[in-house]
Amino acid sequence: MSEVAERGRKKALSPWKSKSPQGSSSKAKKATQFPGVKSLNGKWGYLYVAPFVVMFAIFGLAPVVYSVYISFFHWDPLGESTFTGLHNFDRLLHDSDLWLALRNTFSIWALSTFPQMLMAIGLANILRNTRLRGKSFFRTILLVPNITSVIAITIVFSQLFGRDFGIINDILGWAGFSHHIDFIEGVIPSHVQIATMITWRWIGYNTLIFLASMLAIPNELYESSSVDGASKWQQFRYVTLPQLKNTITFVLIVGTIGGLQVFAEPQQLASDGGSSKQFLTLTLFLYNQAFVNNKYGYAASIGIFITFIVLIISAVNFVITRKISNDGTR
Amino acid sequence: MRNGMITKLRGKALVASFAAIAIGAGVFTAQAKAAEPVTITIWTFGDVIQRQLVAEYKALHPEVTLQIKKSDLDPLDGTNMVTACTSKTGPDIVATEVSYSGYWRSYPKCFTDLRTMKTTGEPTAGIPAGQTANDIAKNYLAWRWQQGVAFDGSVIGIPTDVGGLEVAYRSDLFKKAGLPTERNAVAKLWPTWDAFIATGQKYNAKLTAAEKKAGVGFIDNAGTIYAAIMNQGTAKYYANDGTESGKLIYATNPQVKLAWNTTIKATNAGIGTRIGQYTSDWNIGMNKGTFATILAPAWMMDYIKAQAPDTNGKWDIADMPGGGGNQGGTQLGIPSYAQNKQAAYDFLTWYLAPAQELKVFKTYGLFPAASVLYKDPALTGYKDPFFNNAPVGQIYAAGVQTLKPIFEGKLQRAIDQAIGAGLGRVAAKKQTADKSWAQVLSELNKVVNN
Repeated sequence: MSEVAERGRKKALSPWKSKSPQGSSSKAKKATQFPGVKSLNGKWGYLYVAPFVVMFAIFGLAPVVYSVYISFFHWDPLGESTFTGLHNFDRLLHDSDLWLALRNTFSIWALSTFPQMLMAIGLANILRNTRLRGKSFFRTILLVPNITSVIAITIVFSQLFGRDFGIINDILGWAGFSHHIDFIEGVIPSHVQIATMITWRWIGYNTLIFLASMLAIPNELYESSSVDGASKWQQFRYVTLPQLKNTITFVLIVGTIGGLQVFAEPQQLASDGGSSKQFLTLTLFLYNQAFVNNKYGYAASIGIFITFIVLIISAVNFVITRKISNDGTR
Repeated sequence: MRNGMITKLRGKALVASFAAIAIGAGVFTAQAKAAEPVTITIWTFGDVIQRQLVAEYKALHPEVTLQIKKSDLDPLDGTNMVTACTSKTGPDIVATEVSYSGYWRSYPKCFTDLRTMKTTGEPTAGIPAGQTANDIAKNYLAWRWQQGVAFDGSVIGIPTDVGGLEVAYRSDLFKKAGLPTERNAVAKLWPTWDAFIATGQKYNAKLTAAEKKAGVGFIDNAGTIYAAIMNQGTAKYYANDGTESGKLIYATNPQVKLAWNTTIKATNAGIGTRIGQYTSDWNIGMNKGTFATILAPAWMMDYIKAQAPDTNGKWDIADMPGGGGNQGGTQLGIPSYAQNKQAAYDFLTWYLAPAQELKVFKTYGLFPAASVLYKDPALTGYKDPFFNNAPVGQIYAAGVQTLKPIFEGKLQRAIDQAIGAGLGRVAAKKQTADKSWAQVLSELNKVVNN
């Protein structure tokens, strides 16, 4: 199988390899009809990737490099900037707001990622059912929350979560809670509110990803397991879940990176992140330093800090999920 | 970019057709030149640029195309204008909310000094030719005009409106609580802020137990008192020491302490409902009568009408405790890298002329900054039926004229935000007033030093 593929690939590439053993003479002759082509020796590939690389260099890499540069300055885009060395980083690590923002970010991330993942896998398992009617309809509407504007979502959810007249507090009232929960001032309640918005927005997207990888699981596995007398739950536990490990890794990493960038939801609830900064996230902290306090250099150093956190988390994610998948195959 | 090309092409076609007409008529003179098509790009937000007036201007100047980019988010002036100025681009006109004026007054290089511009003249609208910003300054409220003047004296913005701030109150709820309902009698209830708080306590004392449990109160949010008192002073967080940046005095200014203490007093007296403004709870509470008063800038009247249409006629407007007040307002300026400065200036001077500001007030409730109108019966005689036929023009005009110019600095928004959060912590009973103030000071210390 792999040998065939290898051979096929070699054949396909051969026109660009002047020293390839088969048919080199005739192809080389042909190549000379286009001056310059021969000398490129397979460097055409660079041309193909150029659009992405150039765009990435301009819009991705250059801003990153520039913000690293800015972070060493007391930066004023319109006035004078002074070089301050590592001062911004020194201050940042001693800024209690940073650790508060880190705590909030992780709390919101955990509250939004894990319940969401469980629900998405459950939903995907339902949609996988071959006897389900209107499958494509459900699969399509799952993406609607994802294309809704965050601002609109925030407006609707803040109505649901209103302290005095919100539906959620009304329901809790019927259930016997006499105390109205303040979903803005409370630390955990505000995190729950934000996590709910994130979950609502992303659950459909993740469901589709899980669904796609569930559909890719070979049916033989289910057939043989049912021959062995496995129940539906056992099939899900011992066939579906282990096969989803790579997808879970993917969703976790993407979710984590997204979770570290939570911005619009808390910003819309209160632009300063709450009276005691109870839902100040890392990106909101960055934004406020840059555009309210006019500390652009400081904000850049926060950006770099966030990058490091993402790197660390990605590494941890990678290690943990690899360990899980190794355990699973045993 | 593409839009620009299209308008350019369209522009060329227009020029060609105008030229053809002119040649055909045998009058290829200055008139054809005056009608040269031009596109003015405007960055704005909210209701600052009114569609109805834009249509009027187009009727006056068919050759002018207004390209309006409206942004709903606060950072328009904070981020986009910074980017535009650093990259030496920008629209022809930009609307700036006054909370940013403290920032922009330090960077006059980003704006065209409007003292150097001269109007082409608009005879039909009564605007003579050759007028600079200096010539029209006398038409506007002096302290409000100052907010558009940079540290070096250059005029970087002309005010569209002044916020004004008065007390909007529910006369039906006042009646229920046994308080006077007539607006002059109501204003006499609270000559001072202390009297205002005492009135609130009187109102709250009449509430039933069920109402108290449902969170009903006198004012929507006691925290709004802070900004109101700050604007009644002569200085906020900066003292004008003649330098570009001014001197920070937030820790020592007695006005700050007065505003803080009074707000804390109101909060502890429990006269507020703690509902945040512009939340859904606020909108619902406005309909349900959860609160009986709002400190309302003129532009909020339109918001109340839209959110609580069923309360029509139940509202009224009374004078602020301690004199007038202000909250918000916007100004229009011409960035220094604008492409069509002359056309932009002509539009600006027309749009912000008293006659137009009066129209905007009557249709959208933005209170004119053009103080020449304050004696005009068209304004002073204007009554709003939604607010029980209160002479809103007269009340707001009297209020804004009592205010003094205040020196604004770069970090004003940051300081406002920190103090607002501090008041919020006390209102949410997270901290005592003293502890909260200590935290405000330590946070501001971080903001200021670095």
